[in-house]
Amino acid sequence: MSTAHEAHDDEHGHADQGSPFIQHHYDDAQHQFDSGKLGIWLFLAQEVLFFSALFVAYILYRVHHPEIYSYAHKWLQVKYGAINTAVLIFSSLTAAWAVRAAQRNERKLLIACLAVTIGCACTFLVIKYIEYSHKVHEHILFGRYFDPCVSPGGSELLTKHNDCKGTKGTVEWSLDQAGEIDLLNGKATTGCFEQSKFDVDPQEEGLQAECHVFEVKRTRNAKGEWNETGRREITNRCPEETIGEGTGEMGAQPKSGEAEKKKGAAFPCWKAAIQPAVCVPVMVPGKASSPQFGVLVEYGDEEERGEDIAIDAKCDPSKPLAEPADIFADKAETERVGAKAIKPIHHLTTHEEHELESLGPPPAHTNMFFTIYFAMTGLHGVHVLFGVFVFIWLLIRAVKGQFNDRYFGPIDFAALYWHIVDLIWIFLFPLLYLIH
Amino acid sequence: MATPAKNPHGPQNEPDYLNVTKGLKSWLVTLDHKRIGVMYLVGIMIALVVGGAFALLLRTELWSPGKTIVAQDTYNQFFTLHGAVMVFLVIIPGIPAALGNIMMPIQLGAPDVAFPRLNLTSFYMWVAGALLLVGTIPFGGLDTGWTLYTPYSLESKTAVLVATSGVFRLGFSSIFTGLNFLVTIHKFRPQGMGWFQLPLNVWAMYATAIMQVLATPVLGITVLLLTVERFAHIGIFDPTLGGDPVLFQHFFWFYSHPAVYIMIIPGMGVASELITTFSHKPLFGYRFVAYSSVSLALLSFLVWGHHMFVSGQSRLANMVFSALTFTVGIPSAIKVFNWVATLYKGDIRLKTPMLYGLSFILLFTIGGLTGLFLAILSVDVHLHDTYFVVAHFHYVMMGSTLVAFLGGLHYWWPKFMGRMFNESVARACALGVFFGFNLTFLPQFVMGARGMPRRYWDYDPQFHIFHQLSTIGAFVLGISIFVSLVSLVASIKTGKIAPRNPWGGSSLEWQAPTPPPLYNFEKPPVLHELYNYDDLYEVEPDVWERRAPIETEHHRANELARAQGAVADHTGGATAKEHADAQIHARAEEVRAARDMMETSRGEPPVSTAVDAADAAKVAGAGENAPAEAAVKKAEDEEKKS
Repeated sequence: MSTAHEAHDDEHGHADQGSPFIQHHYDDAQHQFDSGKLGIWLFLAQEVLFFSALFVAYILYRVHHPEIYSYAHKWLQVKYGAINTAVLIFSSLTAAWAVRAAQRNERKLLIACLAVTIGCACTFLVIKYIEYSHKVHEHILFGRYFDPCVSPGGSELLTKHNDCKGTKGTVEWSLDQAGEIDLLNGKATTGCFEQSKFDVDPQEEGLQAECHVFEVKRTRNAKGEWNETGRREITNRCPEETIGEGTGEMGAQPKSGEAEKKKGAAFPCWKAAIQPAVCVPVMVPGKASSPQFGVLVEYGDEEERGEDIAIDAKCDPSKPLAEPADIFADKAETERVGAKAIKPIHHLTTHEEHELESLGPPPAHTNMFFTIYFAMTGLHGVHVLFGVFVFIWLLIRAVKGQFNDRYFGPIDFAALYWHIVDLIWIFLFPLLYLIH
Repeated sequence: MATPAKNPHGPQNEPDYLNVTKGLKSWLVTLDHKRIGVMYLVGIMIALVVGGAFALLLRTELWSPGKTIVAQDTYNQFFTLHGAVMVFLVIIPGIPAALGNIMMPIQLGAPDVAFPRLNLTSFYMWVAGALLLVGTIPFGGLDTGWTLYTPYSLESKTAVLVATSGVFRLGFSSIFTGLNFLVTIHKFRPQGMGWFQLPLNVWAMYATAIMQVLATPVLGITVLLLTVERFAHIGIFDPTLGGDPVLFQHFFWFYSHPAVYIMIIPGMGVASELITTFSHKPLFGYRFVAYSSVSLALLSFLVWGHHMFVSGQSRLANMVFSALTFTVGIPSAIKVFNWVATLYKGDIRLKTPMLYGLSFILLFTIGGLTGLFLAILSVDVHLHDTYFVVAHFHYVMMGSTLVAFLGGLHYWWPKFMGRMFNESVARACALGVFFGFNLTFLPQFVMGARGMPRRYWDYDPQFHIFHQLSTIGAFVLGISIFVSLVSLVASIKTGKIAPRNPWGGSSLEWQAPTPPPLYNFEKPPVLHELYNYDDLYEVEPDVWERRAPIETEHHRANELARAQGAVADHTGGATAKEHADAQIHARAEEVRAARDMMETSRGEPPVSTAVDAADAAKVAGAGENAPAEAAVKKAEDEEKKS
């Protein structure tokens, strides 16, 4: 046994070990199996570390930007995630069963188990494909390509690059440099969203703003400064009624804009923000003494509307609310008061806040959620795909009848690998789909 | 069977591994750990020459302030490629993948590593990674520094994508090697070789492999994310998209700090072997040296933040990382003190490997102590990103690891190539390496302390003399290494035939034929007490033998193995009868344990095969006892024959 080998030859087995697959440098089948088992466990440790960086990134960004996660995860469809979880857990069962089948020399059961495992893995990948293609279609992607058409709550978003039907415009989501507002030159509108966090009660008296958005015609004078030559209100120039129905807390409602809402209204279109226009006073340079109220408007690209049209917005604090008692007494009165009439004071529940939030625009750097989502699920998907190839290889070998109760190592190792793929998904599913 | 080798020290009944098959293809598809190791060695030597050439080019550029030979951009590429090639292609795989691959299984008395095919895969991953990394040169070079820090690496116009895909492959090459070694060390120790009979080189390989398996995946995912970031702009490290560039530094150093220990611990292992062999004295404090390797490996995971003291880490994190960094000094100091204690009253022979070994102790001590300067938070603010840091890590990476690599290469060269090298040339080169190295890097400590920043193309005239000294030193160093490599390669043709044990080493590899056969041993090696030099004597210059001939001890070893209830050793030296007896005994032990309702067998020595066989046969249920019955039958047949 010791010396006379011409070369390493994997197929050259130990006649006394009952299987032709015992490699030469092992003492016996048990030695080979033990070595393989330790090897696969080390490989799995390596896999855990490989994924660990992504989990660390997940934790880090979640701690720093919880609002991104609570907003963006609503785009994910729990239904698909749940089906995939069930599919993977079931395939883990069949993978483990395959090991037992091999140990008991039940070849047909072994083949069946392996085939079901492959089937489940493929089902997983198909569902993942459906999810991904939906996201690609909706531009709910990572990094630079994050450019969604609709918010998770279903409201339309007007964004920089997308070509969603009915929209064309630019939204400057991050408006923290509100001090630089230059309404006339159309640089930005106002700084509303950054300051209007939901912990400010939208119903609080005096904070409600009524906003109007204007298109400003302007010409340049000899000195190169802009002069306003006329303006018209475009507060709601979009075809649809309002975005998110039932959120009557909106600061601005159309007043006389019926004509604007006809079919074929001109694009770009503008809307007052869906979010309650609760704004902290913004100091506009030059008008230091007169604090204004801001509202986020979604406004068109400068190139599209031409230089001589700027967008202006003006917000005023709403008039004092009607007494709640009156509103209770006469519902019609409430409606007559119109947009400014606020429903009786109703403190939003957490759930309602989330609902409301999901209608608004994404918080800054929401793309990071999808960077992490695609990195984690993508890497996991690659592992599933690799698992499919491994199990197909095992299936072919099982059909050839190469496994028996003394040689079943590869099935055991592949099943262990499959369990860790399953386990990683069991972590990913709640972390990405089920958070609040 | 091929004709027996003519070499009297080689294997007598089969060809040695160099001649077992012929032709280029037989090398390229080999599964033999020694051949894979030799291929690694060739690749690493080429990479060493390439990386060294970049070093000499950048030192030449720094000969005078301002432009000497190249412009700034080219200079940036020189130091980047020097760093990347040296770290990823030379130092990390140098000792484990080349020398370790060749020698570690032989030191274990094993026929091969656990997963030979994985070993070959690892080599080709290395080749692919190396080609991609060097392939950046035609694709626009690389100027990010070997650290590939974001956000610059996202913007650089050079071939970052090519480099990161190369580094990704090199990472997996390293993981596979580590995984293979861990399993080999766990599962391929022969009977009688417990954890504390492992040579210290094997301990070092073990500690290294832990880090390779557990740290390198983080590098893998990091460069993967960087790669995807480069072409798909996912934004994870890109601040303009909300990403965090400092996160890259955390990930990078979570790997790259353990990587520093992946580089140095194998060097410590080799140095331990060199020092005990050439002092002909058992290594002082064996267990402490072994434990310190493993504790260094574990500590290495906890100190990555000390690379980021000025990157905007919190003050608390800085203090914790600083304190943990100081603890690294403890295992390092344990090693140094134990090596020095080993030298004390030793029978020291200043052969070439020992010259490297002594250089190692000195240079590692300097490198380690200057590391403590950098671990001090306030001092680091001044020294960070200066030549002081450059000099510090060169003392560790190069002065220690590369010197240990050269020492180990000279030490084991006669064993795996079967030829002695030219001793006087090699000694001259060893001295050249030592003095050239110090001339290169001692001035850099001075420059750094005076504020010369690293990676700068231009410098203040006050640093002129230091840069010139450093450049002269670099050329002395480069030429010495190059000559020593040429001399080694030339010895394959011209060197005299090497004996089995030219240095008086005590570990198992010196019992193997020179060069070893395919499965390393013709007959099972005899386990002596580790690092026991009492019965080793020099029968003629450079030929050492044990006083008690191995053949007679062979019998004793098998008796010992049987007494432990062993199923004989890996190389199968036991006769079929001995095999069968041992199997029966093992089976009988199980049966007795079951009978006495004990969980494990009692490990009693066999009384006689007959008693064992009787006990073994007592198990009810046909078939279940088949192996034992078969063994009984076989043993009976054997007896009948004899």
